[in-house]
Amino acid sequence: MALQGGPENSNAIDELSIKLLLVKLIDEVDKLNQKLDLIIEFDAKMLKIHKELLQGNPEQNSDYRTLKLEPDMMTLLSIPNSLRKTVIAIYKLQEATADDLSKETKRLRAVESASANQLVRLGFVNKKREGRKVYFCINASEISE
Amino acid sequence: MKGKIIAIHSSRGGTGKTTIATNLALNYANNGLNVALLDLDFRAPSLFSVFSKRIKTPVHWLNDFMVDRCTLEQSLIDASECFDTRGSLLLGLANPTLEAIRKVTGRSRSWEVSAAKKLFSIRKTLFDKKHIDYCIIDTSPGIQYSSINAVVSSDVAVVVVTLNPVDIEGVKKMLSEVYDEFEKKPWVLINKAYPQTRMWSSIKRAELAGQIEKVLEHPVIGVIPCYCDVLEPKNGTFLMMGNPNHPFFNDLQEVANKLEDM
Repeated sequence: MALQGGPENSNAIDELSIKLLLVKLIDEVDKLNQKLDLIIEFDAKMLKIHKELLQGNPEQNSDYRTLKLEPDMMTLLSIPNSLRKTVIAIYKLQEATADDLSKETKRLRAVESASANQLVRLGFVNKKREGRKVYFCINASEISE
Repeated sequence: MKGKIIAIHSSRGGTGKTTIATNLALNYANNGLNVALLDLDFRAPSLFSVFSKRIKTPVHWLNDFMVDRCTLEQSLIDASECFDTRGSLLLGLANPTLEAIRKVTGRSRSWEVSAAKKLFSIRKTLFDKKHIDYCIIDTSPGIQYSSINAVVSSDVAVVVVTLNPVDIEGVKKMLSEVYDEFEKKPWVLINKAYPQTRMWSSIKRAELAGQIEKVLEHPVIGVIPCYCDVLEPKNGTFLMMGNPNHPFFNDLQEVANKLEDM
């Protein structure tokens, strides 16, 4: 049966719209929560790595070895968006300065520099200096069968 | 014009990804554009089977390129003469032997990093050296390293979906968990739509596209009805060559034009 116009039906439609909006909102909050959990987990890993680096030779520490991260696409899905954006830009440019990255991602140079250096600390990215310029590239081992 | 990489992806097998990729490549090559068609489904290669009757077994496969045993150029086969295309048609095929597939399984994450790096580096050879206009990648279905590498390194991704609810649910999940995370904005191509859609007007098809767009929250680039005769042996995957007036081609032509305009 088609809905007839009138204040009661109009109220019912409004109520339904609000309910739908609320469901969508809850869904978005859930997604946000999941992302926050990822960031918290990631931060904890970072802190652990830093602590181990400060305490001495990290290679001797088994925890560090298990924490070794690779910038493969599946791992990239679990890191914060801001870092992921920088890694993908480095993949694209193959070798890039913070300036190059800033042009690619259209974010501030300072943001890219901080992000790339964080990726270096994580072992995702290598850093090399040529004269006054610092280049970042993906840390990939030689490919073989 | 600088070339474009188009990845053809799906959430599961059997959506018609390879048929779309192959005929899209032939379409562009027939229209005088230079095309490279790459099979990145190393676990279930299909392009060699598709082309095997018309080309010789390659000396080098794409697998060899991925492990530095040859250059990308060496792994490409020129199939332009076989199909008498106006533009060049280069094929990069995945090795279908059991041994090659076995080697692909169980690759380390470090290997996948190098593979991704390699895939990002193909532009120079394809676009600068070989003057390719379109590189079409037939990816593996679902969320696998090779398909994500292809999607992330491509300029345009097309996700082929059927109207099967399980497929739609799978695509929806894949779009939100992978594409959105990598900030990729794919196009959805509805393939094998209900047979009655053949008779539908463009307005009615657009309505169907609109409904799917609402569910998937991503734009639909086209609706291709289910043409059972596409799979008839006399047509094979190269429907375009044997039967260029087939309605499948009008539908695919529209998709090709839209991809060109992007």
